Amino acid sequence: MKSPKEQSLHTRRDFLRTSVLGGALASTVPLFLEKTFLCMDTMAASSTGQITTGKDGTILVVLQLAGGNDGINTLVPYGDDAYYKARPSIALPKTEILRINDYAGLHPKLTGMHDLYSQGHLGMVQGVGYPNPNRSHFRSTEIWQTASDAEKNESLGWLGRYFDNCCQGSDPSSVGVAIGGQTPQAFASPSPKGVAFSNPEQFRYMSEAASDPSSADMFMRQMNQPTDAAHSSSSENSGGSIGMLSGPVETEGSTVEFLQRTALGAEMSSDKILAITRKTKSTVNYPQSQLGNSLNLVSRLIAGGLPTRVYYVSQGGFDTHANQLPSHERLMNDLSMATSAFAQDLKAQGNFNRVLMISFSEFGRRVSQNASSGTDHGAAAPLFVMGGGVKPGLYGAYPSLTDLHDGDLKFSTDFRSVYATALEKWLGAPSELVLGKKYPLLPFI
Amino acid sequence: MFSPFPDKLWDRKMAAHLLNRAGFGGTPSEIDTLVAMGPEKAVNSFIHADEDGDLYPRPELLMPDQMAELRRREKNAPTEEVRQEVRKELNQRRYSTMLDLRLWWLNRMRYTAAPLLEKATLFWHGHFATSNQKVDDPYLMWVQNETLRRYALGKFPDMLKAMSRDPAMIRWLDLGQSRKDHPNENFAREVMELFSLGEGHYTEKDIQESARAFTGYRINYETGNFHFQQKDYDPRDKTFFGKTAPFTGDEIIDAIVAQPQCARFIGRKLWVFFVSSTPSDEIVDGVAELLLSNGYDIGITLSKIFRSAAFYSPKVVHHQIKGPVQWIMQATKALEIPLPDARVLENSLASLGQIVFAPPNVKGWDGGRAWISASSLLYRYNMAAFLLSGKARILGGGNAKTATIPLETIAPSSVRGISDQLLDTVAFRVFNFPLPPKDRATYLTYLEKQSTPYSDDTVRDLMQIMMSTPDYQLT
Repeated sequence: MKSPKEQSLHTRRDFLRTSVLGGALASTVPLFLEKTFLCMDTMAASSTGQITTGKDGTILVVLQLAGGNDGINTLVPYGDDAYYKARPSIALPKTEILRINDYAGLHPKLTGMHDLYSQGHLGMVQGVGYPNPNRSHFRSTEIWQTASDAEKNESLGWLGRYFDNCCQGSDPSSVGVAIGGQTPQAFASPSPKGVAFSNPEQFRYMSEAASDPSSADMFMRQMNQPTDAAHSSSSENSGGSIGMLSGPVETEGSTVEFLQRTALGAEMSSDKILAITRKTKSTVNYPQSQLGNSLNLVSRLIAGGLPTRVYYVSQGGFDTHANQLPSHERLMNDLSMATSAFAQDLKAQGNFNRVLMISFSEFGRRVSQNASSGTDHGAAAPLFVMGGGVKPGLYGAYPSLTDLHDGDLKFSTDFRSVYATALEKWLGAPSELVLGKKYPLLPFI
Repeated sequence: MFSPFPDKLWDRKMAAHLLNRAGFGGTPSEIDTLVAMGPEKAVNSFIHADEDGDLYPRPELLMPDQMAELRRREKNAPTEEVRQEVRKELNQRRYSTMLDLRLWWLNRMRYTAAPLLEKATLFWHGHFATSNQKVDDPYLMWVQNETLRRYALGKFPDMLKAMSRDPAMIRWLDLGQSRKDHPNENFAREVMELFSLGEGHYTEKDIQESARAFTGYRINYETGNFHFQQKDYDPRDKTFFGKTAPFTGDEIIDAIVAQPQCARFIGRKLWVFFVSSTPSDEIVDGVAELLLSNGYDIGITLSKIFRSAAFYSPKVVHHQIKGPVQWIMQATKALEIPLPDARVLENSLASLGQIVFAPPNVKGWDGGRAWISASSLLYRYNMAAFLLSGKARILGGGNAKTATIPLETIAPSSVRGISDQLLDTVAFRVFNFPLPPKDRATYLTYLEKQSTPYSDDTVRDLMQIMMSTPDYQLT
């Protein structure tokens, strides 16, 4: 009799051999891949005794609000006269605020979020930031994605390091799923780093276009097999230090090997993801927006039992330099409706208690409005934590609106404390190993 | 630093490399023309290409006066109903003229007699990444595109000054709202961080001070032209890079380009785009030296790069991941077909991650490995299948048609009888690079299973397999 752990190992290797590279080609699985996957399986099996997956374990959803969300008009300090003084034409009227306490309350369009708070599922961490804040979108996004200090350059993502350290018992597709065209830097890791796609129906190879589909399909698969040769001739791209143009995710290995690995990951995950999205349907209405569609897709993948434990979605458009009231209102409305639909959907599936969603934005905005009835790049801001396991309420202190650093709020909670809490208390991962340092854990879980 | 590439090593592989990197690829006969020229003349044919600009008249756009008129009608509408109608018309015309503009530029890239000029314009579009998502005015995007083209192979400081006065840029980075008593720092920050120096080579104070120099830059909405509004300009002293004077915006730019770091920053970006993603410090210094000793002349600098042995190194040739635009250009040129119709093109470029006139953010496209995700790679494979088969449902349906591929030209009957002759003929056209022995053996196995003389279907299927590989993503 095989133990469950051996069985799982066996199944995975079988899957790799048969469904991915095709039964006929099984014997030609390149050595380095064989080694990679075997080693991963063994490590995972021995470190935890059993492999936790998104089928039954806890799941983390990271929501990026790209462009720098105006945290002050999101969690509004309506009890502070300084708020109305600093923002004469864009402050939100006291009477419309969805109150949390006598000082702070939510943007009037965040009704869904406020309901979640009342039901006990929403927490707000106040004044989140980091020392020596950077006001560049790209640099600050990079800092959040890599969880590095502002003075340091780190190329690997915080989730990538989590994948690397803690969930190696997985093929590339089961590691993390980002909804969108590009892999976020948060996923960057030296080994397989998850997949990114925006539409599952386009996420497959359509060999039926060929005049002889079965033969084309077979040879296409063969030509997409990674080769040992490509693996051993690597080095040409390694060692490039992360410099001023460090945007793209350059992990180790040659370009060809990178392409081959991506091709293999694409085939494996395409099969699984299509099988799931074709058989699952949402029972609730999501807003017709990028965020609505993304969260809808995530909830179906969770319902369908995809083993992935980490999902990444994003909402764009937060760079509100001019005339921000109407545009920020639309964003808040979309955020609230999509989050609320997602929560409802997960509840209907019975998965709500397994899912934690954390929002973040690269920075908040300045306390004072600018001359264009907008706000310029700032620093600390609140973020949301939502899910069945969340303890509702406010965490950390709302930064003073008058004791400022260069016109910006001073942070009161380091963003890495939020990450550490999610890793340690939610995913059961050693946060120090992932973040390189111990950060105080927060009581929102 | 950059020793010239020896004439005696000039062959089809090297000529194809030049054609791919200095342009958007081409057919075997175009490659052979470059082989016959030798490296010196071949490089000059790109640098000094003559192009009749009249071949590409401005597409029909929503002109500033028309836009202004529509806005007036919207504002003065007697009823909400009329206002909604005017707004709808405005949006529709903006949308359809944007599609026209995009197709206009892509077709220019596809057919131009001066491909380096378009390639360099694409480079600068990624550098001064401005998106119509915010500018929301196709006419202004066209004006910027022409300005980028005018300076693409000219002197960088002139281009940087022209960009500070470019109406689309002014709207993109909120410069039009920057005034004496409320300077907006967005442009001042990006001009140094992204356009000239890179992060870490200036202080927050430099940004705040230089923002005051770029005040008063305005757009005239009736004409769509730049104008300088003296009353919004801050004429007082600014302290910038340690010097104090009543600097103007142009003087700030002069001070920026005088920094050696500027030449390093631009030199590095040129190398990454045209040559290789990981230049050493020596290479970066070498390109910076070329720029500085030639007054930041981009055309001269590129001509020296394209003549250098370093450009033809084995670690460079066939080692760059094609960007989506490059992928589509090379594919349609090799297959000798026109670009697919506007909507298919629009959707494809969106799925592949490079919509021209709509870069993802002010940093432009990351390029390199960032082009490739599991889904974009699959989409590339399927795009190839679509171009070859013309079956629109592969890309999600619609009535799109593709042109007939001249399979007789690609694989003439003289090579249809023998597997390795057919293979070598087709593979050179598709890859412009010798096949690795293992791949060659696999393709031959495939061909040996088909009946001879090889049919059009077989040639097409063979190309579909070739274009659905990791190797095909490289140029």
